[in-house]
Amino acid sequence: MDEHDEEVPIFRTWPRIYAAVIVCAVVVMALIGVFSKWPW
Amino acid sequence: MTGLDWAVLLVYLVAIVAFGVWAGRGNKRIDDFFLAGREMRWWAVGLSVMATQISAITFIGTTGQAYVDGMRFLVVYFPLPFAMVILCLTLVPFFYRARVYTAYEYLERRFDARTRTLTSLLFLCSRGLSVGVTLYAPSLVLSVILGWGEATTILAMGGSTILYVLYGGNKSVIWTDVVQMLIIWFGIFLCFGMAIAQLPADVRLPDALALAQTTGRLRVIDPSPSLTRPYTLWSGLIGGLFLMLSYFGADQSQVQRYLSGSSLTQSRLSLLFNAFLKVPMQFLILLTGALVFVFYHFHAVPLLWNPVALARLERAAGAELQPLRARFERAQVERQQAAEAFARERHQKGGGDPSPYLAAGAELDAARRDVVRLYEAKTGESYTDTNYIFPTYILTHLPRGLAGLVIAVIFAAAMSTLSGEFNSLATASMIDFYKRFVRTAGGDAHELLVSRVLTAFWGLFACLIALQAGRLGSAIEVVNRFGSYFYGSILGVFALAVLTPQASARGAFWGLLIGMASVYLVATFTAVHFLWYNVVGTMAVLASGLAITTLAPER
Repeated sequence: MDEHDEEVPIFRTWPRIYAAVIVCAVVVMALIGVFSKWPW
Repeated sequence: MTGLDWAVLLVYLVAIVAFGVWAGRGNKRIDDFFLAGREMRWWAVGLSVMATQISAITFIGTTGQAYVDGMRFLVVYFPLPFAMVILCLTLVPFFYRARVYTAYEYLERRFDARTRTLTSLLFLCSRGLSVGVTLYAPSLVLSVILGWGEATTILAMGGSTILYVLYGGNKSVIWTDVVQMLIIWFGIFLCFGMAIAQLPADVRLPDALALAQTTGRLRVIDPSPSLTRPYTLWSGLIGGLFLMLSYFGADQSQVQRYLSGSSLTQSRLSLLFNAFLKVPMQFLILLTGALVFVFYHFHAVPLLWNPVALARLERAAGAELQPLRARFERAQVERQQAAEAFARERHQKGGGDPSPYLAAGAELDAARRDVVRLYEAKTGESYTDTNYIFPTYILTHLPRGLAGLVIAVIFAAAMSTLSGEFNSLATASMIDFYKRFVRTAGGDAHELLVSRVLTAFWGLFACLIALQAGRLGSAIEVVNRFGSYFYGSILGVFALAVLTPQASARGAFWGLLIGMASVYLVATFTAVHFLWYNVVGTMAVLASGLAITTLAPER
């Protein structure tokens, strides 16, 4: 079975899910950076 | 451990073995045994990939690391999502379309038999030895903390894992990994919640975070450009990227998990599932360690976290220890008072002066360093007890039943890694050696039997190494070091295979050897941190492989 046989859940296309992973990774890193510097 | 804790642990062990055997029924061919019939869904494979990566020593070691040094270790995981995307675009489609059982099998199709054999042999040697260490390290900690014999813990963990992997192969591995990963997630949330709930009533979570932050425990990003400092932002992002690419792209224990997907889509989704969840999970584990650090501001800290070492020190040092103990206990009281005053000041004035608290903390650290120095002087051995911190917290401060559950979580973390490794070692020996050189077509029943014999062999070999590991001493370090020499180099061979169509088999084979030699030289003659070895290995293989291809073309 090839990758074209199945739809990508939620994101529908591969470029979208890859972009979502990268955006999510950058946001998580930024949030962790903010968390560690936050004036608790 | 109370009776209830023992019951929880026993129920876990019996239930997971029974479930593993049940889930693994119906294997008729090695395709079923090694690749779960190539019919697994992404979420099951994704949880299995995650469970294989998180070993017991990762679980107890990283919490201890956060307690001692802070959360800097997290940077190693930052590039994981990027590595997953790169692998989904490059190696995964090649592996999947080639219908291979092992990653190294693909190298014979692209290059030649000797490159495949060498890479597979390197995997068997290093993973075969390191699986013994994977079993030994948590067994040692648990046996000391629980007061068991090492052999009991090794046989409970290793023996029960062998039982279900031997019977059910990769189906058992993946389905038990799913259950074990859910147990591990539950354990992480439980420990995180308990660490917060057990803070004193007048110390709120922001106060605890402020205390952890003041001592640098919340510091994740170290922008230092130094190549020798551990876990800087750059070594994490660059070295960590190569490490993750090597581990998920060229290590059979991971490749085999996602080759079990029912389609290329399912295999890719399993990796992207990890890309979304892995960093937050590791963050939570490390933050739990930082909160345990604050928790011990308000509860007695043992002189040494390893109770066996402490008893030995008490016997060896006698009266010499008393002044150090008195100083340590005094420093603890002072740190607790300073921490409470700091929190009080924050409540009343919205901010506090951290310097008395920092001074009290520094005095406690200095007192502890003197105790460790005395231990090392009396025994002639170096001492570290980072891995004992979290298990001590679990057993001494978690309520009845929950302690047993968290010990079961540590067992789950160890067994989920071991099962994947036993299965992948058996696969590489069967596919890359037995079926390649001994008997190419033996029939389904024969091949299944040999696969089970090989699984039993690697399981027993791991137990044997673990049972002897205490006597091997520095050999364990050699094993770990040996693994880091070739990890990046093997990635370099796969990079040559998929990124450079012109690369020759000769270039790949000799490039691999030159890559390993380069890492050996860097490791021996420089103080560069080990995360950079993967970069050195990969780049050396790529450069030398391409140079050999150009300068000595194959006729």
